Amino acid sequence: MRDDFDAMTILAFDTATPATSVALALDDGRLLSRRHDPAPGERPGHQELLLGFVVALLEEAGVELPAVDRIAVGVGPGTFTGLRIGVATARGLAHAHDLPLVAVSTLHALAAQAAAPPAAADQAAGEHPAATADQAAAPPAAGEPAATGDQAAAGQAPADGEAPPALLAVLDARRGEAFAAAWPHAAAADPRAAPLLAPAALSPEALAAAVAELPAASLAVGDGALRFREQLQAAGAVVPADGSSLHRVDAVAHCRLGAALEPLARDEVVPTYLRLPDAELALRRRGERE
Amino acid sequence: MSERPNRDGGGLLLAIETSCDDTCAAVVARDGEIRSNVISSQGVHDRYGGVVPEVASRHHLELIETVVEDALAQAGTTLPQLDGIAVTQGPGLVGALLVGVATAKALAAAHRLPLVPVDHLHGHVAASFVQPDPIEPPFLILIASGGHTLLAHVKDHGARWGRDGSIEVLGSTRDDAAGEAFDKGARLLGLGYPGGPALQRLAAEGDPEAFAFPVAAQVPGLDFSFSGLKTALLYKTRELGEEETERRRADLAASYQRAIVETLARRVERARAETGIERLAIGGGVAANGPLRERLRRLAPDLHVPPRELCTDNAAMIASAARFAQPVAFPGYLSLDAYSSGERGL
Ligand SMILES: [Zn+2]
Repeated sequence: MRDDFDAMTILAFDTATPATSVALALDDGRLLSRRHDPAPGERPGHQELLLGFVVALLEEAGVELPAVDRIAVGVGPGTFTGLRIGVATARGLAHAHDLPLVAVSTLHALAAQAAAPPAAADQAAGEHPAATADQAAAPPAAGEPAATGDQAAAGQAPADGEAPPALLAVLDARRGEAFAAAWPHAAAADPRAAPLLAPAALSPEALAAAVAELPAASLAVGDGALRFREQLQAAGAVVPADGSSLHRVDAVAHCRLGAALEPLARDEVVPTYLRLPDAELALRRRGERE
Repeated sequence: MSERPNRDGGGLLLAIETSCDDTCAAVVARDGEIRSNVISSQGVHDRYGGVVPEVASRHHLELIETVVEDALAQAGTTLPQLDGIAVTQGPGLVGALLVGVATAKALAAAHRLPLVPVDHLHGHVAASFVQPDPIEPPFLILIASGGHTLLAHVKDHGARWGRDGSIEVLGSTRDDAAGEAFDKGARLLGLGYPGGPALQRLAAEGDPEAFAFPVAAQVPGLDFSFSGLKTALLYKTRELGEEETERRRADLAASYQRAIVETLARRVERARAETGIERLAIGGGVAANGPLRERLRRLAPDLHVPPRELCTDNAAMIASAARFAQPVAFPGYLSLDAYSSGERGL
């Protein structure tokens, strides 16, 4: 997989969470990225920022869009509106130059990144400090696995042997629920690996019950892991400190996972909603009562 | 990003429209000739009794790829050959609009084409500008659909709204849109959703003079209001009782329809008197209503009515409007967002 990744120019982005994250992996090994994390109370900047980040990264890299080997888009689960902006943008760009398009699970990307955090963030922040002001992340939390670039690409455990047995990705699904899924540590970098916990929208109680089934001391990451820290820790999971970059969806992980995925027809790339529209739920509830 | 190859000189615009529940794309030439006009009606909202924004947004995303491809293929053109890409920016359902906006921006940026953001209602006006039967400003236009009811003075082809602009809004609805009034009346008469067309069919068999529903709504100027009419129908059905309502449904439908048509026509009549503008066009889905057309033709014999597929929501009208709107050159539109309402300076 490392070979695939290195030989390709991959444009990746994710808008499943309030963040807008874009990454460009170049075939010469360079890795560029931009992100925006809205401040508390600020609206997500997906529609305003996503395409501008894409254009800026391509220009910075001196790459024309037709030279991109594939586009990898995060398909959630996450906020419906954010997902639609990401998927529509990815499809439009792919359509325009007939580029291969792959769909990356946002939960899987979070898990993969926690199994082998990319060393690229620092590099990117160093290369364009102005545009990535909020990328100058909080220092890694104590206990956060530190990985070298090689380990990251290979998806292997850090050498100290303290790797968590499983990676649990948890996103805040609003309405008091979480979108969650888990993978065994060894398989977290393989986009086709079978999950220990299949992606689902879960109540805090259901989430705690699912975590209790996972190996003890599994690592839980994502904005949902912060939101439900109490329940997760009570169920035996380890949650990195609030400021850890492991909680943020980073499209660099999409580049890695996306390299190993089979491209899909453009209209097959659709968001993973995991939830029916409210109107449909209401209709079904009415049907059940009658 | 790639350079634009030489264009064929056809001056083609691709337009995308996703403001409500129809997923639309079209290619129109600079001279107003329609090269393609693809409309994919979602037809999934009936079971909810109305258009559900989240359901509409999901379907737009599912349909838009095919709709855009079909519009380009039917026009026999490709993206790099286009002069620009137009998209409905608003007003409408924001979640639905942003599918079109994100798609249009990405397609345009990938070829460094200009993007033309279009106001949906300018689109309804510009449906009157397409070939082979365009109408020249100045004229009055009544746009009536399930989403809007608007009476405007069209002074030139442009997109500037307001008294000193191209389109001066003379009156708009205070509550329900005309199409909504049809649908709500239909529901009161047990005709389901969307019941507007069913009510209009039923009305053909009834006596429009059977019941006197309020026509002169209690709103000043040239604005419209339909909520009182809907309430009057509700009271009338209660007064008649279930059996009698059932027996006289056609009469009720005909009288109700007459009240909607009269409400619209009397405002148009007054606008003509006040502005001295005689030429009249109509647009929007309600423009297909036979009695409304007849009534307006009695006012203005040369009433301009675009073909049906240009009256209901479509992208050809958006492309037509884009011919007279301000294009935004790459990369000026990368941060462009959709808007739901209220940006026309009304
Ligand atoms: Zn409309």
